Amino acid sequence: MENLIFYIIAGVTVASALLALTVRNLFHCALFLAMAMFGVSGVFIYLNSDFLASVQVLIYVGAVTVIIIFGISLTRNMMDDRAKAMNNQLLFSILTAIVLSVIIIMAIQESPFLGSEHPMSVMLGSVSGDVAQPVVQTVANADHPFHGGVSYLAGALLKPENGFAFAFEFVSILLLSALVGAIVIARKDPS
Amino acid sequence: MNNIPLVHFLYLAAILFGIGMFGVLARKNAISVLMGIELMLNAVNINYLAFARYWNWSSLTGPVFVIFVITIAAAEAAVALAIIISIYRHLKTANVDEAHYLRG
Repeated sequence: MENLIFYIIAGVTVASALLALTVRNLFHCALFLAMAMFGVSGVFIYLNSDFLASVQVLIYVGAVTVIIIFGISLTRNMMDDRAKAMNNQLLFSILTAIVLSVIIIMAIQESPFLGSEHPMSVMLGSVSGDVAQPVVQTVANADHPFHGGVSYLAGALLKPENGFAFAFEFVSILLLSALVGAIVIARKDPS
Repeated sequence: MNNIPLVHFLYLAAILFGIGMFGVLARKNAISVLMGIELMLNAVNINYLAFARYWNWSSLTGPVFVIFVITIAAAEAAVALAIIISIYRHLKTANVDEAHYLRG
């Protein structure tokens, strides 16, 4: 039952992602993109990352889609339904995308982490253990199960001994400078 | 807990990445290209979390990288929209194949 819901979520995600990039009307594109982002956040929940799923909804559905809709409204005359949505390399783009996906899937199937000789392959085939008590656990430090909860993430990001504190502060400076840069770029020329 | 194999998450991410690549290559409008890039970044995030969940339960490197990717994707979306609006103001178009001043 849980698996069925996952496959439904995955199907909805793929379908709305496909629609988001093929529909002609740009507003519909943005709404289908929001739908795809909701689907990805559902997939995150299946990966035990509840905090990241909520962050996904907040940032992608709440912020990025709204920014994109603002961008669409500010460049409005692209909205006419007669204009072609695709450029003239449509065939090659479809070919490239399909070949890329097939190559990645074949590489996943061929890759050594699925072979039975690998020590971790036991848990890769199908994990049936509970989260709190991982039954199949060949990785070290088994008493500390994976948890995407917010307190674990805060510890990983902010404790200096984990090594991510500097990167965390740096990425916040990057976000700030990107926002200031966006304002400067989009500003009307005073002259 | 669910017993979905890891490869199904990887397949989903691969398909999403392909769809995003298709959008980046085929769409005329720059905003649609941006949407394709966002989809590709999401596929990468699914991969990070799937490997963090199935391969190395104790490490939080995967979720931390997902947070960094989301942050940089948000910054990239803001800057890209600003550039698109600026291009639209100068050239009166938002098509990527009509803004070719830098073509050699």
